[in-house]
Amino acid sequence: MSKGARRSAWRRVLEPFQVFLIDAGLIGLGILMVELLVISFSGRRSPTGFLLPAEEILDLLHYGRAALGAALAALVWGRAEGGVAISPGAALIRGVDAAGPPWTRTLRGWFSFLLAEATFFTGWLVTEVQLMQFLTQFDKAQDMVRGLLNPSSAVLHQGLVLLVQTIFLAFMATAFAIPMAFVIAFMAARNLTRGTFWSRSLYTFTRTVMNLTRAVEPLVWALIFISWVGIGPFAGVLALWLHSIAALTKLYSEQIENIDTGPVDAITATGGSMLQVMRYGVVPQVIPPFLSFTIYRWDINVRMSTIIGFVGGGGIGYILKPRVDLGQWGEVGTLVLLIAGTVWAMDILSAKIREKIV
Amino acid sequence: MSETNIAIRVEHVTTIFPGPVRALDDLSLEVKRGEFLVVIGLSGSGKSTLLRCINRLQDPTEGRIWIFGEEMTGAKGNQLRKLRASIGMIFQQFNLVKRHSVMTNVLSGALSRTSLFRSLTMRFSPDEVRRAQACLDRVGLGDRGGSRADALSGGQQQRVAVARALMQDPKLFLADEPVASLDPALRHSVMRHLEVLNREEGLTVVCALHDVDLIQRYATRLIGLRDGRLVYEGEPQGFNAHTFKEIYGEEAEVASGLAWI
Ligand SMILES: Nc1ncnc2c1ncn2[C@@H]1O[C@H](COP(=O)(O)OP(=O)(O)O)[C@@H](O)[C@H]1O
Ligand SMILES: [Mg+2]
Repeated sequence: MSKGARRSAWRRVLEPFQVFLIDAGLIGLGILMVELLVISFSGRRSPTGFLLPAEEILDLLHYGRAALGAALAALVWGRAEGGVAISPGAALIRGVDAAGPPWTRTLRGWFSFLLAEATFFTGWLVTEVQLMQFLTQFDKAQDMVRGLLNPSSAVLHQGLVLLVQTIFLAFMATAFAIPMAFVIAFMAARNLTRGTFWSRSLYTFTRTVMNLTRAVEPLVWALIFISWVGIGPFAGVLALWLHSIAALTKLYSEQIENIDTGPVDAITATGGSMLQVMRYGVVPQVIPPFLSFTIYRWDINVRMSTIIGFVGGGGIGYILKPRVDLGQWGEVGTLVLLIAGTVWAMDILSAKIREKIV
Repeated sequence: MSETNIAIRVEHVTTIFPGPVRALDDLSLEVKRGEFLVVIGLSGSGKSTLLRCINRLQDPTEGRIWIFGEEMTGAKGNQLRKLRASIGMIFQQFNLVKRHSVMTNVLSGALSRTSLFRSLTMRFSPDEVRRAQACLDRVGLGDRGGSRADALSGGQQQRVAVARALMQDPKLFLADEPVASLDPALRHSVMRHLEVLNREEGLTVVCALHDVDLIQRYATRLIGLRDGRLVYEGEPQGFNAHTFKEIYGEEAEVASGLAWI
């Protein structure tokens, strides 16, 4: 059996499970959200007499029963045929006729509509939206706003010095990340790693490691590096460096995957080796987009380095956090203006440079 | 020796793409040294796949291919690169490195005999630079070496591609619809160079073509492909309206005269 035939046979076996999982997941979510809304609006109170907050209701929900109900419902619904009754999972996996009935005439249309409504109201409860406080208590923030509008010059000098540190912090992180991301990107590009079992494994490995690295926010990486090299800008550099490698690898390798294969073929046809094909067929095509992405990344790193000091990673955020805690709003105002000005300037600068390159 | 008179021998080659599509279906053929063989057929009939299998840009699923008595299929590493270097190839889309200079593009034809260090730093020896200049002179672009490749017109770019292939000092030339994206008036400016290489230097040329007038002017032999199978073989003089049906099938003939491709 050929590779293609094997894949499609595999897909036929897998399909009903995919449909079932999607349907059961959506129905289960719906049941739980409706239960949460019912409990909340039934006016049930805690022993101390307060209306139950969403956090506590989440503990009361019947997860097992919801799962069971959802599974049964999904089993039944998944069998439905035709454009009107077909389940959301089946519609997603098998596709539906674009010229089918409008959503107001289909079962899954109404189901999706109700699910969306339930999600909105559940979200309102879970995030504890408090419109009244928002609209009536502005006076409590007056001190702060007055301070922000009247920046104090006391912290200006120190702020400027740390601003320089902030920009260099972002620069070093970006500069260190470029060569590593450049090399790793070639291992993480699908079109260059199709050849052997080993190259495919290398692809999967680098992609996985890079995705996991990117999934952890720089602030969390900063906490890790602080315990490693101590509080200060270097921990911030390391945190942004690692995150930038992962982010740039993704951007670079996607660019490599999108190249014109013509020159690659041509250089291969002249008898060039793998490295020569990379140097002549791939590198010239990806240099301009790589430059553009790198400057964009530096821009992002400047933004991040302004707050990485909140957790002790150096830069201007390091002196901002204690002033927020102490309520020294005039000084906070100065620092916020410095940060905003820098980010704004970087934004314009990076856009201008990238415009020139591409 | 009869074997060395055979430039290309293709034996029972089948190439299957995922789908599955049989781009080549048990194809066998021989190309003699010094021939100008033109391959015709509807688009999708397997012309490109055949050419790409010959220099192994594409690996055939089954079958074997020999170049001047040396087996191409199964060759690996250095051996494969050496065999590829003896085959020049030009493409419909020219496939130059757009951001490099014309000179660097021509020099890249010498990569197979250039050290890794020299090629990665793009510092070719003065000898190679002189040869590249000579190749550019031959295609009439001696004064354009310093231009960026994408600053040239389509016809000029294809001539640079010819010069790059010449730089390989090939024994065999593969051309995949080399003039299909050029202005009709410019087609001979590229084809002429292939003709000179073939007639005066005895280079074997295999070329996929679409235009009847070009076929009759340049080909010494003609083969027709349909669905990856050989459906026609003959002299270009014998190629006329009656042979259309054999190669392109009933629909094409009905569809109308020469707009068949
Ligand atoms: N890389 C590929 N992947 C999948 N199918 C391909 C690929 N290359 C060619 N084919 C298919 O193989 C058949 C022959 O294509 P090709 O050799 O390009 O024909 P031609 O050059 O005569 O137009 C076509 O059906 C085409 O779709
Ligand atoms: Mg083709």
